[in-house]
Amino acid sequence: MLTRSFLKNYLPVLCLRKISGAGFGSPVRGGVILQSVSSDVYANLAVEDWIHDNTDLKDGHVLFIWRNSHAVVIGRHQNPWVECNLKLMRQRGIQLARRRSGGGTVYHDLGNVNFTFFTSKKKYDRMENLKLVIKALKTVQPELAVSATKRYDLVLDGNFKISGTAAKLGRTIAYHHCTLLCNADGSLLPAALKSPYHGIKSNATTSVPASVKNLLDVDPALTCEVVVDAMATEYAAQHQIDGKVKLVDPADETVFPGIGNKYTELQSWQWIYGKTPRFDVSSCFQLVYRQSRLDVKLHMNVVGGVIESCSLDLANQYLPAEMCEKLRNNLTGRRFCPDEILLLESALVKTYSGDLELYNGGICCVKR
Amino acid sequence: MLLRGKMAAAARALGGGVRSSLSRWCVAPAPLPVYRLSWRTCSARTLRTGSPLLSARKFTDKHEWISVENGIGTVGISNYAQEALGDVVYCGLPDVGAQLNKTDEFGALESVKAASELYSPLTGKVTEINTALADNPGLVNKSCYQDGWLIKMTVDIPAEFDELMSEDAYENYIKSLDD
Repeated sequence: MLTRSFLKNYLPVLCLRKISGAGFGSPVRGGVILQSVSSDVYANLAVEDWIHDNTDLKDGHVLFIWRNSHAVVIGRHQNPWVECNLKLMRQRGIQLARRRSGGGTVYHDLGNVNFTFFTSKKKYDRMENLKLVIKALKTVQPELAVSATKRYDLVLDGNFKISGTAAKLGRTIAYHHCTLLCNADGSLLPAALKSPYHGIKSNATTSVPASVKNLLDVDPALTCEVVVDAMATEYAAQHQIDGKVKLVDPADETVFPGIGNKYTELQSWQWIYGKTPRFDVSSCFQLVYRQSRLDVKLHMNVVGGVIESCSLDLANQYLPAEMCEKLRNNLTGRRFCPDEILLLESALVKTYSGDLELYNGGICCVKR
Repeated sequence: MLLRGKMAAAARALGGGVRSSLSRWCVAPAPLPVYRLSWRTCSARTLRTGSPLLSARKFTDKHEWISVENGIGTVGISNYAQEALGDVVYCGLPDVGAQLNKTDEFGALESVKAASELYSPLTGKVTEINTALADNPGLVNKSCYQDGWLIKMTVDIPAEFDELMSEDAYENYIKSLDD
């Protein structure tokens, strides 16, 4: 049943759909401000994808405001094993997501607000959007020493990053999204973004580490809610539209038909890990054979997150050639996962040699 | 003079430079084989560029270019596009063998935190990707029409190629965008 509040909240979105469905002849005019009611990172990224794929913004524009529970979000062309501590993230329930835009890895929680500016490709202007954010922040705290850098970050006092940027340029639509740290959990951020893995060689985009600061530490008035209101007011004033923020539920297929597929894809292994640019990894481990220790080096080429080929370096005849071959074959074609490989190594060596005592009861990967 | 310079360069490229410098110290007519080599190189080069099998470069409205040689198209992005993108830091390219339809998204270029989609100018199958871009994505900026090419593909529907913009038409098109 359509309630009055449903219509009030969703009508602009429904209009967007209706107009976009009519094709290029009926461009969306004016703008709309949407805010997600969900804190699920995959759901919010799915909304971005949906708007990107389904709206005609030749003469229109959309501001989408969203916040996520604990999550690490990597850029389109990044390597999760290089960018973050996956084990720690699993332990702490921090989700990993890959977005479609470029740029580096960011940490999200409910103390961080994200703004996505959708425009036509022609009107895409990141600096213009950042100026709007600065203007909005200064309406709350006029003394705030915030400025935009050449890399489209927002910094406080010329030094502390409070916002990072990424963008995607599609066929006709472009979007620019930026984070804004209001009151994020600073203790988890450095740990989650520090990879324990070494020996990965890759051409993937790497992140540029930065010192960060929360807006709330500078001025207690700058809470997420206040910043969102200020942004909505400023965006509405600039584009001469109604400043009312429309709440949207990313799970609602009546508003976003087909969004469920996008949500599923964003959560899939094939997207999050499988889209990692090809990389090489070398790991060392040690075997104890009777009283002697043996260093073993394993080199792997990983394509699409899957081990395409691998080689083992070890002193001659420590392991039978047949066994090395078997190990290589068993690794090839498997999804790359350091823990899984550890298990596999251990299982294989146990199977093939009764005499071999494994170091610490299993093959130990020594990080380089 | 120019020709001699080109020949010397070609000879150097073929390792002939070593032989030329050696020849200064030798009475034997060592330069001759070098000249023969370089003549052959020059004529091969002339044949390639002058061949009617090599088409002029054509452009899409998404700023990709394509030229066709012996039925295989080489695809890249235009100078206008590379300037607009800024420094390219990563090239996401398709697998060899991927079947593309005209205007299909076939990859993305990343520059200054932005991922820009790439669109196939024609229908065809990817036969080669520029592997040099993995280590050196900046080639797209430095040499967008030569060393910074992206993919090679078959031309399944030759009429599609004819429909693309000529260099002059593309120049007019980008002028209209800036207006």
